[in-house]
Amino acid sequence: MNTSSVVTLNKPAAAARSGRFSIAKTIVILFLSILVVTQVYPLLWLVLYSLKTNEEILSGSFFALPHAPQWSNYGAALEGNYFRYLLNSLWVTSVTMMAVILLSSLCAYAISRFRWRYGQGVMLLFLIGMMIPMQATLLPLMIIFKNIHVLNTHLSLILPYVAFSMPIAVFILSGFMKTIPHEIEESAVIDGASIWRIFRSIILPVSVPPVMTVCILTFINIWNEYILAATFISSEKLKTLPFGVNSFVSQYSVNYGAIGAFLVLGALPVILIYFLLADKITQGMVAGAVKG
Amino acid sequence: MNVLKVSRLTIAAFVLPCLIIYVGIVFVPILVSMYSGLLDWNGIGESRFIGFENFKNLFFHDPVFWPSVRRTLMFAVFSMAEIPLALLVAILLKRYIRRPNFLVSSYFLPVILSVVVVGQLWKTIYNPASMGGMLNQVLNAVGLGSWAHEWLTDPSVAMYSLYFVALWQYLGYHTLIQYTGILNVPEEIYEAARIDGAEGFTADRYITFPNVIPIFKISIVLAFIGSLQAFDMVMVMTGGGPAHATDVISTHMYNMSFLSMKYGYGSSIAAFLVVLCLAATFVINLIFNKLEKRFS
Repeated sequence: MNTSSVVTLNKPAAAARSGRFSIAKTIVILFLSILVVTQVYPLLWLVLYSLKTNEEILSGSFFALPHAPQWSNYGAALEGNYFRYLLNSLWVTSVTMMAVILLSSLCAYAISRFRWRYGQGVMLLFLIGMMIPMQATLLPLMIIFKNIHVLNTHLSLILPYVAFSMPIAVFILSGFMKTIPHEIEESAVIDGASIWRIFRSIILPVSVPPVMTVCILTFINIWNEYILAATFISSEKLKTLPFGVNSFVSQYSVNYGAIGAFLVLGALPVILIYFLLADKITQGMVAGAVKG
Repeated sequence: MNVLKVSRLTIAAFVLPCLIIYVGIVFVPILVSMYSGLLDWNGIGESRFIGFENFKNLFFHDPVFWPSVRRTLMFAVFSMAEIPLALLVAILLKRYIRRPNFLVSSYFLPVILSVVVVGQLWKTIYNPASMGGMLNQVLNAVGLGSWAHEWLTDPSVAMYSLYFVALWQYLGYHTLIQYTGILNVPEEIYEAARIDGAEGFTADRYITFPNVIPIFKISIVLAFIGSLQAFDMVMVMTGGGPAHATDVISTHMYNMSFLSMKYGYGSSIAAFLVVLCLAATFVINLIFNKLEKRFS
């Protein structure tokens, strides 16, 4: 299955025949709208919460708008190291994404196109890896990293992030590369192009759609990762956003509004990106699931 | 078809960088962990080889272990029970909604959030009313004050509160996976069925359902494996407490290794988890291969 056939959300639902079954339709729309409320209202509630004073929060008026928006809550939250965490997350995530794309596309190309004996074996290794729980490697990695002195550096996060993003990336990319017609390569070989040049100038540019899928999957997984960061990082100045948010929230227990504000700020980057690219992200994540 | 003949050196240059990182970070630690499971070791000092002593203690003498396995499996059962609901939502979306983008994006929103944001958000919602918790405030407001609970600190309900958060977060994911599967069923089949007099839920029974079984399987595998690995949400929300009431396999492993400093013992739990995940995947695939044969 290639990417283009996976999902088209814009396709009008052909079975939606308006005018008939109007009572049924009303009930269905009501049901689906209630689901929107349950899925989205907790987040809106958090935004309201983050703008209230402690008295308003404790008074029990969960539905009320704040009397006067308390922007000072956000001031208090920003006094934490929000921007430092944000930069760390940006750095770790972007290095991981670049490494994953580069290394997995090389490997996927070799698996899908080269004539060699162990291609299927390597693929099998990646398939098994998809079923291995990340947390099972937590303890041994900690010991290994401590011994080679990379514990409490960003490298100790990037290495496992790259490794655990690889199986699905190789799987998606090699699945796509198998469908590229090999006449393209044949003519390039005849024209005297080297294998590196074929890879760089033909294969990579053609593979942009699956590369985007891999980017989205890697971004969402790595940007949100918490437990490795909390285990391998101890310096305040190296914390990534999820870890930073969690430690701020657990330590800062008197000012409820500021906790809410920090949570909103923690969710904000990924929500902004989601507003811009909602369809791409949903399609990418479903494609990732369906192929994995 | 693999056509390119290239030198061994080129193959190595394409494959090895990826493979070395992958094997070094994923497989080597798993093997190390399987071996450490046979040690009496606190992770720092001297280690002592004790054979299967750790596993014996784990299976026969650990009062926390089997309850944690049961909770992990319950987690999987609850997650899988949600999938038929997701399929229903997907069918309704396709049949009644012309432009589902807004609905689909709203349902999917929780999926993209970090487990920290989701966990802390729900911790705030579950707070006692006197600390501003929304759930208890709502219950008080609609006159169901007697239903109010200490959702995360009462051992008898804490685990269910956690299951619910996972269901809430992933409903949209499963819905969208099922919806994509349904959209890929060719429209001609429905038209043919309509001519033969099958419409609405009859058509779903005989067309939609058999056609989405492969997609259904994907959701089941995701839910099952995801639940076996359920970890960070529990760590963020309760850390396994109160009094081990919300311990799952992986939090038990974490607490044993990092809090009780029983590194060898924690490794034996990790080894158990890996074997469980691989076995579960194998069994699910077996069951669905049979199902697919029967329905098609």
